[in-house]
Amino acid sequence: MATLDLQNISKSFGAAKVLQDISLAIQDKELVVFVGPSGCGKSTLLRIIAGLEEATTGQIVIDGADVSGAHPVDRGISMVFQSYALYPHLSVFENIAFPLRVQKMADAEMRKRVATAAEILQLTDKLPLKPGQLSGGQRQRVAIGRSIVRNPKVFLFDEPLSNLDAALRGDMRVELSQLHRELSATMVYVTHDQVEAMTMADRIVVLNKGKVEQFGPPMELYHHPATKFVAQFIGQPNMNLLSGTVKGVGPEGLAVEVTGGTVMTLPVEAGGTRAGDKVDVGIRPEDIGLGAGLRMNVNVLERLGGQSITYGLLADGARFCATLDGDAAVREGEAIDLTVDPADCHVFNANGDVLRRLKAPELTR
Amino acid sequence: MMDKYTRLQVVGIYAAIFVFLLFMLLPFIEMFMTSLRPLSHLFRSPYTFWGSDFTFEAYSKMWTTVPLLGRYIVNSVYIAGMVTAITMVLVVPAAYAYARLDFPFKSASLSVFLGVNMFTGAVLLIPLYRVLRTLGLLNTYWAMIVPGVAFLIPTGIWLLRSYLEKIPRELEEAAYVDGASRIYTLRRVVLPLAVPGLIVVGVSVFIGAYAQQFLFAITFNQERAYQPLPAGLFEFIGYQSVNWNEMMAAALVGVLPVMVIFLFLQKYLVAGLTAGAVKE
Ligand SMILES: Nc1ncnc2c1ncn2[C@@H]1O[C@H](COP(=O)(O)OP(=O)(O)OP(=O)(O)O)[C@@H](O)[C@H]1O
Ligand SMILES: [Mg+2]
Repeated sequence: MATLDLQNISKSFGAAKVLQDISLAIQDKELVVFVGPSGCGKSTLLRIIAGLEEATTGQIVIDGADVSGAHPVDRGISMVFQSYALYPHLSVFENIAFPLRVQKMADAEMRKRVATAAEILQLTDKLPLKPGQLSGGQRQRVAIGRSIVRNPKVFLFDEPLSNLDAALRGDMRVELSQLHRELSATMVYVTHDQVEAMTMADRIVVLNKGKVEQFGPPMELYHHPATKFVAQFIGQPNMNLLSGTVKGVGPEGLAVEVTGGTVMTLPVEAGGTRAGDKVDVGIRPEDIGLGAGLRMNVNVLERLGGQSITYGLLADGARFCATLDGDAAVREGEAIDLTVDPADCHVFNANGDVLRRLKAPELTR
Repeated sequence: MMDKYTRLQVVGIYAAIFVFLLFMLLPFIEMFMTSLRPLSHLFRSPYTFWGSDFTFEAYSKMWTTVPLLGRYIVNSVYIAGMVTAITMVLVVPAAYAYARLDFPFKSASLSVFLGVNMFTGAVLLIPLYRVLRTLGLLNTYWAMIVPGVAFLIPTGIWLLRSYLEKIPRELEEAAYVDGASRIYTLRRVVLPLAVPGLIVVGVSVFIGAYAQQFLFAITFNQERAYQPLPAGLFEFIGYQSVNWNEMMAAALVGVLPVMVIFLFLQKYLVAGLTAGAVKE
């Protein structure tokens, strides 16, 4: 049982405001992922939760107790660092046992705990080796082993997979999700890789310039991005944005004129939007199909097998990307006609805030 | 294939190394040659590099000419060893603090250390003499150890600090998160990783202590039994003649134990102990 509440956390380094008024309620056994571009404050927030950094204002509450000034061990957290932070002069066994040695745990109990951790992480035959003799993935597992022997309430991970190659990263992602289920522990995971965020998270926190843009389950972020920033950050390839002008507001949604004079009726809540307002229409590449509508000159075609990703320019020079069938009859240098279901379109007002879609798919878990 | 240099460049490099080494080693060669020469040959002109009557006699005679010679050699090593030990005990925590902690006047005090380093001991001999007299340390081993330590601490801090700064901070943060105290982290994580750095600093402190003890010995110590070798060598200067050959022999023999230690330590200096700490 471990809940983690962040209450109005702000952090400044001198004049630089790195985090601004962050409040999050993370539930027991939840795996929450912090994503955001480089420098948005993910690591800083994680380090504040860990107790490695002190928040300028705000409280950290774990299981209902304010632990803001407490030592990491008393908070009941453990942390896995991006660089693994293994002790190179100690064996794998001693690395994993380090937190227990600090506690002066009895030898028998310590051996049992290390053995259990090593078994979960498939490191049993590596225990006598030094970290330098291990592969990247094995080192990462040792670092995780060191964090689980202490049975902490909350696990913190700072980009634990970013040093691994793509294939290994995929494997470790699955292993970590499995570990989360086995330990049924609360975890906070920092990454700048949106695939990791989408695949692993129960809920995702999207951070931008030290502020929370959105906090919700992956598919909610995908179908209902709260802001233009989230919309562009989640999803691969990035969402297309076309600038448009509102022509009319009705019960069916907004009539928006986009590039080339096309007027589409988009089923979204109007909010305070009025005719004449500038909006951005967001269209995910994967929601686009072949058919009359938008004309694009294909500059680059990437055939991935199952899909063909096309990049090109629309008539007015806007950059556009569409994900088509693997065998779609498209060629580089030629023009194609594309179409999109208005129900799949996202609309953002001039502030970058979303107008909620009315016909988005039901959220499934 | 990996050779970046052409044959001509290699020849040039070796020639340069040869000239450089010749400059460095020629005095030692001359010392050695002098130690083999009978006294009567020393001032013979023209200079002959090798003579048929060269002997190792000086190496046995020197022990009787200066009966305390063995003691002087031991004193030298003892004083330099004590200076090194005390300096290291003081330098390790100080360098760690400079590498990791934040405190007022940190960079200012570091600069002051560097500034102090620029004074040679000679400038401060008189004030030091008064300090040592007040403390009652004149004519003891401490008269040579204490100033030695004082003058070597700044270099030690500077050297070791830059080494400790290279140890990844995340290792210490990981230890902190796991509940280790600073002292525990220093002992179990930082110092083991700093061993090559500690040896480098230790060696340079030892060399420094060895080199500077002459000055402190002749000014702060009149006790013959405590004299280190450089001061003891004076005893080869007699009333009528100087036993140059024996003095050179004694100097060479005195340096020998130190040389042996350094040759032995060299292999530790090369070993990279930090491999695998973090992914580079
Ligand atoms: N100790 C510090 N002193 C001053 N500024 C800092 C310090 N630590 C972080 N910052 C600043 O805070 C901001 C956020 O840094 P942080 O490391 O949290 O980013 P991040 O989101 O983890 O980025 P990345 O994905 O690159 O790891 C950056 O602009 C950084 O320059
Ligand atoms: Mg970071």
